[in-house]
Amino acid sequence: MTEALFEVRGLTKRFRGLTAVSDVTFRVGHKEIVGLIGPNGAGKTTIISLISGTLLPTSGEIVFEGRRIDTLPAYRRARLGIGRTFQVMKPFPGLSVLENVTVGALFGRGGGERKRKRAEENARQWLHFTGLERRIDQQADALGGPDRKRLEFAKALAMNPKLLLLDEVMAGLNAVEVDEVVELIKKMREKGVTILVIEHVMKAIRRLSDRLLVLHHGQQIAEGRTDEVLQDPRVVEAYLGKRRQ
Amino acid sequence: MNRLWIALPILAVALAVVPWVASDTIVQYGINALLVATLAQGWNVIGGFAGYPSFGNSVFYGLGTYGTAIAMAQLHWSFGSGLVLGAVLGVACALLFGLPILRLRGPYFAIATLGLAAVMSAITATIDIAGKNIGLILPLFRGDTLFYEMSLILLVATTATVAWLARSRFGAGLVAIREDEDAAQVMGINTTMYKVAALVIAAFFSAIAGGIHAYWITFIDPASAFDPSLNVRMVIMTLFGGSGTVLGPVVGAFVLSAVSEVLASKATSVASLFYGFVIVAAVVLMPKGILDVMEGFRTARWRYFTNNLRRFRL
Repeated sequence: MTEALFEVRGLTKRFRGLTAVSDVTFRVGHKEIVGLIGPNGAGKTTIISLISGTLLPTSGEIVFEGRRIDTLPAYRRARLGIGRTFQVMKPFPGLSVLENVTVGALFGRGGGERKRKRAEENARQWLHFTGLERRIDQQADALGGPDRKRLEFAKALAMNPKLLLLDEVMAGLNAVEVDEVVELIKKMREKGVTILVIEHVMKAIRRLSDRLLVLHHGQQIAEGRTDEVLQDPRVVEAYLGKRRQ
Repeated sequence: MNRLWIALPILAVALAVVPWVASDTIVQYGINALLVATLAQGWNVIGGFAGYPSFGNSVFYGLGTYGTAIAMAQLHWSFGSGLVLGAVLGVACALLFGLPILRLRGPYFAIATLGLAAVMSAITATIDIAGKNIGLILPLFRGDTLFYEMSLILLVATTATVAWLARSRFGAGLVAIREDEDAAQVMGINTTMYKVAALVIAAFFSAIAGGIHAYWITFIDPASAFDPSLNVRMVIMTLFGGSGTVLGPVVGAFVLSAVSEVLASKATSVASLFYGFVIVAAVVLMPKGILDVMEGFRTARWRYFTNNLRRFRL
């Protein structure tokens, strides 16, 4: 692993009595793709919300490029170069596809592009990159499932992020579409983006991730190279239950 | 669309000529229509662009009237200084209450701003320098032409600001907040600052409109200065014309002012009934405003209306 782009130390989030994330520690290197897996309710989305700033941690540290960011508001983190997608997708429903992505280019890392024309040009490039060009003038809430996912990607990418947090972008896609998205994520990495991805589609996770982090009931139960982690008996147990002796 | 932007300055000049050729009644109707159009345009910034349904804009208007009235009637300042005082009060109020109230969303925000309006009216009625609940009388100045031109300049300035907003990065941020505030924030938009700025812009223009109205009418009291139904009119006019558009609020204000003026001169009791009918019909048949009708009718003809009924499941 190269020098870490970001690091999480002892991250804990409690919602009243419920501990959603408990003492999680991991590092992600430059241009790595790290998979975050675990059964439903394991705390995966909570971790992404804590890193992106949508939620504030109860305790623990988040360090991004050597700088603590865990008390910064979400928009400041976006300006540092952290982009995310939402599991329940959040397009700007009344705006066109182009306008949606332009917002990403106008803001995002470093405060984004100041001029609207230039931001629009950037947005067009990202729409080309994600294969959404043919929908450019359509209203966002008229898009179908796969195109909505593409829109989420394009919006996040237009922010020019260093770190991209992807929350279950493949749920509900068919096999062909999953392949397309896998290729898209690999292409993003080639552009120099570091990616933390939550995913349930195992086939995709296997092909994508350099390393995996496994959560169960908010606890980190395994971390390491993808093939090794998937053999780990604790991981198998969390997913499939205990093997009978 | 380009032809429209050439037509607008011509329209503004044509409107500027009105006081020299039209009757007093029309000029007086004009002053009211221009001021209420400014208020609708101000509401458009916070309600139409940022998506925060404010019922506190009548507070900014009221503070503008009181700022001007206190300056002129009590402190014997000039009208210009009065406008400045009114604008300062309005903007200060937006800054002070904007921060806490803009944390609320949707109907909760609306209720909080409505509360602010009620409180302001009650507070004003207890302050000595504001004339308690009796009100204040301003020095008399007969010059409808001047009031008309001032109101026109104010409306042009407000509309120019909104036109800039619609093309700017700031405006794009406000629209993103309206469409999905959580998504807007993780994309790097300082939502708190943007919302407060939108409220401040609305407050500034509403307060100036209040100041002009106060000097024109020469008498103000808490009930008329902080009248919540004025805020309702701003909302209705903006929605009628087209919320979040540059010209919608102006068109809506002119059309509805004309409708209520004509009706009020015919029969007062039937008037409000018909006014209500117009609004219901507008909401059901053209929920995106009159400007959208002009766009949609060209392509879809009468089907435009039935399409709306289907699309918004009414």
